[in-house]
Amino acid sequence: MFTFSESSEKQIEKIMKKYPVKRSAILPLLALAQRQDGYITPEAMVEIGKRIDCSPAYVQSVCSFYTMFYTKPVGKYVIQFCINISCHLLGCDDLLEYTANKLNIKVGETTADNKITLLKEECLAECSAAPVMRLNDTYHTNLTREKIDQILDSLD
Amino acid sequence: MDKEQVTLTIDGKTVTVPKGMVAVDAAKTVDIDIPVFCYHEKLGPFGCCRMCLVEVEKMPKLATACTLNVSQDMVIKTDTPKVKKGRNGVLEFTLLNHPLDCPVCDKGGECPLQDNTFEHGPDLTRMEYNRAHHDKATPLSPVITIDRERCIACQRCTRYSDIIEKDTALVMLNRGFHNEVGTFNNEPYDTRFSGNVVDICPVGALTNTQYRFKSRNWDLKNAESLCAHCACNCNIVIGTRQNRFMRVQAKSSENSVSNDFVDDGWICDKGRFGYQFLESKNRILDPRENGIGDSRAGVIETAKKVAASFKKIAEEHGPDSVGFLGSPFGTNEELYLYQKLFRLGLGTNNIDHKLYADSPGLPVDHYDMEDVESADLVLTIASDPTEELPILDLRLKKAVSSLGTKLAVLSDQQTLMDCFACHSLRYNVGSDGTVLQSLTDGLGKKGFKKNKGFETETGIESDAFKELIASLKKSTKVCVIYNPEKLTGDSVHILKSFLTALDKNSEGTCGAIPAAPATNALGAMDMGVLPDYYPGGIPVSNAAKIRELWGDSAPVTEGASASELIQKAESGELKALWIYRCNPLVDFPGGAKLEQALKKLDLLVVHDMLETETTRIAKVVLPSNGPGYDEGTTTNIGGRVQFRKRGIVTQNPADWKILGAMLKELDIESDYRDSFEVTSEIASTVPGYSEVNRKNLRKFGHQREKVSNPKVPESKGSSEKAPDKNALRLRVSNYLFAHDKILDASSSLAHHFQTSSIYIHEDDAKSLGLSSGAEVTIKSDWGEIKAEVQVNNRCNPGGALVPYISDEQGVASLLNPDGGPTWVTFKN
Ligand code: SF4
Ligand code: SF4
Ligand code: FES
Ligand code: FES
Repeated sequence: MFTFSESSEKQIEKIMKKYPVKRSAILPLLALAQRQDGYITPEAMVEIGKRIDCSPAYVQSVCSFYTMFYTKPVGKYVIQFCINISCHLLGCDDLLEYTANKLNIKVGETTADNKITLLKEECLAECSAAPVMRLNDTYHTNLTREKIDQILDSLD
Repeated sequence: MDKEQVTLTIDGKTVTVPKGMVAVDAAKTVDIDIPVFCYHEKLGPFGCCRMCLVEVEKMPKLATACTLNVSQDMVIKTDTPKVKKGRNGVLEFTLLNHPLDCPVCDKGGECPLQDNTFEHGPDLTRMEYNRAHHDKATPLSPVITIDRERCIACQRCTRYSDIIEKDTALVMLNRGFHNEVGTFNNEPYDTRFSGNVVDICPVGALTNTQYRFKSRNWDLKNAESLCAHCACNCNIVIGTRQNRFMRVQAKSSENSVSNDFVDDGWICDKGRFGYQFLESKNRILDPRENGIGDSRAGVIETAKKVAASFKKIAEEHGPDSVGFLGSPFGTNEELYLYQKLFRLGLGTNNIDHKLYADSPGLPVDHYDMEDVESADLVLTIASDPTEELPILDLRLKKAVSSLGTKLAVLSDQQTLMDCFACHSLRYNVGSDGTVLQSLTDGLGKKGFKKNKGFETETGIESDAFKELIASLKKSTKVCVIYNPEKLTGDSVHILKSFLTALDKNSEGTCGAIPAAPATNALGAMDMGVLPDYYPGGIPVSNAAKIRELWGDSAPVTEGASASELIQKAESGELKALWIYRCNPLVDFPGGAKLEQALKKLDLLVVHDMLETETTRIAKVVLPSNGPGYDEGTTTNIGGRVQFRKRGIVTQNPADWKILGAMLKELDIESDYRDSFEVTSEIASTVPGYSEVNRKNLRKFGHQREKVSNPKVPESKGSSEKAPDKNALRLRVSNYLFAHDKILDASSSLAHHFQTSSIYIHEDDAKSLGLSSGAEVTIKSDWGEIKAEVQVNNRCNPGGALVPYISDEQGVASLLNPDGGPTWVTFKN
């Protein structure tokens, strides 16, 4: 069972007012559900579908389109490593592997202490400062092995 | 008003088409084929696959012809080097990750990807890496298999689920390279119309599980025929190989042309996957007397012998000692000949095929299914298209969501159509007479006044009712769709007065579609399988007309109705009964008493396709080949007469042949050489059918003229009170995938079978102390059945809804045999 928390409900009320067509509210509602549970469960998709008169399949199709929505539990920190062309040319493959080895997990996995999840990501639209990764809501640019060491060490 | 026309040039040919048509379709009108994948005429433009690139003068780049609306003086070229290069490039990309397993792919031979590649694609690939792989052959549902490797992400299937089915159950998951067709949480994609995606998938990604690896398409013999499951009479293509049934497809632009008067190119899953009965073990193959089958006896010889016995009984005990119980599942030819046999050969009007009240003819225009789309208001009464006439459901959804039609639903039960309706009025079970009378009066001068009595009796709020009347009055084209089978008592007659009133008082035009669900329900009425009407709606009282058409010996007194036939069997008045494609022991009320009555007969003949409870007690059983094997015409709910071609050849004689022999045996001239000769006779004797001939039946069938419009009998009205305060009024509803003789346990649709349930309102649940999930015995004065309680307000308080889910459930045994109301109580 999934239920929106009381504070989420208040926000939903506001969100729904913004959109003349209900289904337009799908992204904010997905974001809300993710903020609440850390990731989006099938039950949450059903609930969101009911709110915006859409099938749960439609909700899932939208949800799975965006890599920022997680459908599995993630760690406290989520690293999304850009692997697209600019970052690729500037050596992201090596950095990604380096990070994975350092964390002792495979790409797509979460560390045993549930602290860090490592994911691949398509272009983060910051090509001019490639290689790039996103750590929760922060961008880290012009990455090097040293920089990655620093960043990972700074996480509590 | 005609749409504005534009003239343009395609490959040097001048084309004049309606403005706004897409270039792909415009090219088709002059036989120029522009290759497509994602475009489908019924889904509209989308433009995701880029297969349809063409060059357009004054446009800098190649344009997608499926999204290009043609305009005046446009110059389109489809065969320039630039276009060729474009197509070639698109195909190379499309094939990048395609497994190319054509030799083991069901689509091979009828695959647009194969065809387009052959014609426009590269010979070689430059792909140096491993191709992407997915699981092969994953069940998407029990009837559809998906091979995700083959998918080219054209989105036809997912758009179909969204635009046509309207439930977006099948979607594109993930993004880009990871795109895949799927459902929510990997649930089966198992709707009533899922099979159509198999037809429209342009590759072998979506395949019919039943048909997988059974045949190559070039080995199939395809017969353009009709579905025989419901009264939509959808156009299907039956594929056989070496005279064995292989598959059913919709007749559509994929293989022919769609019949937009009927099905718009779609069929439901019952029509596609529900044809295993053609080769069922349960088929009757040999004639049988006294329980002993004899393959050497000869069907025709046996039939002639029994016909002679009927004649003898009629001579000995009078013509009314014999009777005929027909079926709305026979073809027009079969039913026509049967009534002729009984009327002219045996001299009786003891002929019927149904238990509900209705008479032929309408006081207003008989609308075709297509009219649903041009109407601005459709009113459905006691009809549940989703379960009864699935394609009508799709057409209504299309009309409402893309053509601006408004829908009003007037019913005693909740239906899946309700959420598309702007007026959704639910009346109390059994109050349809009052509702229809008030509607009739409301349309007249007096109008409708808010009134408590009406509200209590019908459960409908006065204001909502008033709004409905106002809408009916001011609409420019109203189409009324009603299911006579689900109206109680004789309120169908009130409904016809309502239609007259509507015609008189509405500002625009109006018409109706009588929507009884059985395959040829309308044809059976038109062919006069009725105790009180001759073919074409001529009442038995019109002796002069009858003599003129049928000769002096034709009987002109009213015969016994279906339920009277049973009563007369019981009282001994009826000596011999002929039952054709009908199973009263399951479908008629009466239970054990009914069986005793039938056993009392001197001679009970059952002429049927599959073994039933009734064939088991019959003295003589004759095989009827039925749909798939025998040809003939049927009349759908829109009055459209179409020819049902056969798909499989059998040694057994067709029913029209058997009937011809029997007529001859009874000294009636009959020398039919094929079923069309019977059709011609129908054209010459049945009012309304005069234009039904081979030529008119070709392609899209022919809408018969209105059969004569006899005076609508007065309704006797009815006032029924519950016998005790705990009794609920029973309403039996339909379920599309009921487990009966046609869909038996071995059917691919068996996963749809349901268990016996009774739906009651929460108010009643409270006062009766019942809750969802309780196993109960439902009792009426005539029988009892078991069911599980579901509390979910599918009908108003006071009503109890039981869907007919299987023959075994025995719901008919609960019903009042004289057609009156049935009240039920519960035993835990
Ligand atoms: S499964 Fe077929 S119809 Fe559906 S997207 Fe793939 S190729 Fe198109
Ligand atoms: S809607 Fe009726 S006629 Fe059409 S395919 Fe389904 S069962 Fe057959
Ligand atoms: S390619 Fe990495 S940010 Fe654009
Ligand atoms: S058919 Fe035109 S883009 Fe697919």
